Amino acid sequence: MAGLLRTEAGKGLALSAPASLYVGLLVAAPLGILVAYSFWTQTYVEIDKTLTWANYLEAATDPLVRHLMLRSILIAGAVTAATVALAYPIAYFIAFRTQKKTLWLLLITIPFWSSYLLRVFSWKLILGFNGVLNSALISLGLIDEPLTFLLYNEFAVVLTLAHAWAPFAILPIYVSLQKIDRSLLEAATDLGCSKLERFVRVTLPLTVPGIIAASLIIFIPTVGDYVTPSLVGGSQGKMIANLIQVQFGPANNWPLGATLSLVAMASVGFAAILFAVLATALGRRIR
Amino acid sequence: MTDQNIIEISGVEKRFGTFTAVKDLNLTLKEGEFFSLLGPSGCGKTTALRMIAGFQDHDAGSIRIAGQDMAHIPANKRPANMVFQSYAIFPHLNVGDNVAFGLRKLGLSKADMKTRVAEALEMVELGGLQARKADELSGGQRQRVALARALVMRPKVLLLDEPLSALDKNLREAMQLEMRRLQQKLGITFVMVTHDQYEAMTMSDRIGVMFAGKLEQVDRPEVLYARPCNRRVASFIGGMNFLDARVTGDNGATVDVNLQGFGPLTIDVNPNAPARSPDLLAGIRPEQLEIGAQRPEGYDACLQGTVSDIAFYGESVHYYVRAAGVEQPISAAVPNYFHTVDHKRGDQVWLGVQNASVIDLGARDA
Ligand SMILES: Nc1ncnc2c1ncn2[C@@H]1O[C@H](COP(=O)(O)OP(=O)(O)OP(=O)(O)O)[C@@H](O)[C@H]1O
Ligand SMILES: [Mg+2]
Repeated sequence: MAGLLRTEAGKGLALSAPASLYVGLLVAAPLGILVAYSFWTQTYVEIDKTLTWANYLEAATDPLVRHLMLRSILIAGAVTAATVALAYPIAYFIAFRTQKKTLWLLLITIPFWSSYLLRVFSWKLILGFNGVLNSALISLGLIDEPLTFLLYNEFAVVLTLAHAWAPFAILPIYVSLQKIDRSLLEAATDLGCSKLERFVRVTLPLTVPGIIAASLIIFIPTVGDYVTPSLVGGSQGKMIANLIQVQFGPANNWPLGATLSLVAMASVGFAAILFAVLATALGRRIR
Repeated sequence: MTDQNIIEISGVEKRFGTFTAVKDLNLTLKEGEFFSLLGPSGCGKTTALRMIAGFQDHDAGSIRIAGQDMAHIPANKRPANMVFQSYAIFPHLNVGDNVAFGLRKLGLSKADMKTRVAEALEMVELGGLQARKADELSGGQRQRVALARALVMRPKVLLLDEPLSALDKNLREAMQLEMRRLQQKLGITFVMVTHDQYEAMTMSDRIGVMFAGKLEQVDRPEVLYARPCNRRVASFIGGMNFLDARVTGDNGATVDVNLQGFGPLTIDVNPNAPARSPDLLAGIRPEQLEIGAQRPEGYDACLQGTVSDIAFYGESVHYYVRAAGVEQPISAAVPNYFHTVDHKRGDQVWLGVQNASVIDLGARDA
């Protein structure tokens, strides 16, 4: 044992052991349980532990599952696109246009100083029928009736999540911008590029890894989010996680819930990998 | 080199806040000239180069390239290209795309572009390396790619900021020769920033020596070496012994002096050192002093002293000689002809000097 600890590999193992153990217990074990459940069946009160594909068959054929899965991925895609598009200019500003980087990075984390739920509720107060936005517009005389398309739909979900996720997108993009050697930008200018061409041909391709990281950090948890859709999404804004929650809660069908979770994970994984591959390939095409 | 002026800089000044990084810069470069800007760290070389490139605007004066005032012409529109000290190779592009980067703006046909990239790479001896990734290149190869990427644009002026400082000594010397050959073949004006005096001397047609933002002397290397304008320039280029000299007679083109330690000599007046006074500073290159155990024959003045230190350089041996009436030891360099070191520390030796070897550096406090 002492001898093993002295080798490089041994040291590496020893260093990663606590984390591996932790991850093993808290991720692998529940995942294993989930997989097991997905092959069982719910019979009123008990669980029938004979292995069956029935749950998967149901998940594959139920149009509601397919509909919600697709919508979840679309909404998550929209949230990701909106957040990254909004975060990029901010990250750019901090990386290139200000000396007070620490201050700005600190300011960006301020939303985290209040709870996530509170922030979602605040959006409800802003967008609601008698909310801040409608009251303001009415008192300004711009509208007569409160706008109803603000809350309880996909738009509200995208808006709320884009706001909530912003720091998660800003930070990785900022890091990748910050890493760019300033002389590369000067070289591009020297070789005849205008500021815009320089951005498209040098800055953007060099920040593709940051964009991918930001996108995955946002996309993956958004697909599985159920708090925001249930608070501001209304019936149109419901997502796959809301269905899963129903299976584990009111419907009391854990095996089907487990199956849906696994299907959702697989779909998200597939979409994420596809996105990363496509984005990398696109980045490579810019010369 | 032609007689056409390609760069005309007059009265250029650059301030950062209250600090003046470049003062009253005046410089005219000919088409096809290899010019080096030499000076210690922080003297403003990079700042001067960046003003020519257009990365930094100047606070006063004017910069003209090929007869055109550059005042309102941004860096991307100037007929000058730059080789950066860090080389600035685009890490997301391969060698071919790096070299083609600027060409894509010119609307060339695919075939033309390919040919020009291949030619440029051929020129820097990287032929066929188009597909090599940027991070698979050695330091010397990166340097060549940077050179090819700038030269492929066929600029009127190529600006180089310490292009060889990141390379090891052997590679650096090989690249010096190669860049000089390339420059002469292409006839492009090169403006190179360096703090390496040997690099500047071996490569350049003319050298500008800069101190604290001021260009103190611009001359051909051999003139700079033989007739530096003051103590700073003299000590920055090559080794130099500084001695006081008292003027005893003025003959117009020459002056009679009484040289510290050596006695009476008649030396040429240095036209580059305009500040005159009866107290002159004189300089003698170590390799121009004769050293021997006996008083050397046929020298215009001699001095006796004791060897205090010996430095062996391989191709030469430097003896440091202490003499009565001279504060600093005088260094004398002897070529290593026969693998012998002729004098030991503590030996009594004689130093001999000719009139022509003593350089007039002007008034002592200039
Ligand atoms: N952007 C800037 N802001 C403030 N001061 C600057 C700036 N750029 C350069 N300086 C100052 O101007 C002076 C000249 O700088 P420059 O980079 O031209 O020196 P250099 O001769 O190239 O030195 P080195 O050989 O070390 O590269 C330095 O004192 C430097 O601190
Ligand atoms: Mg510099």
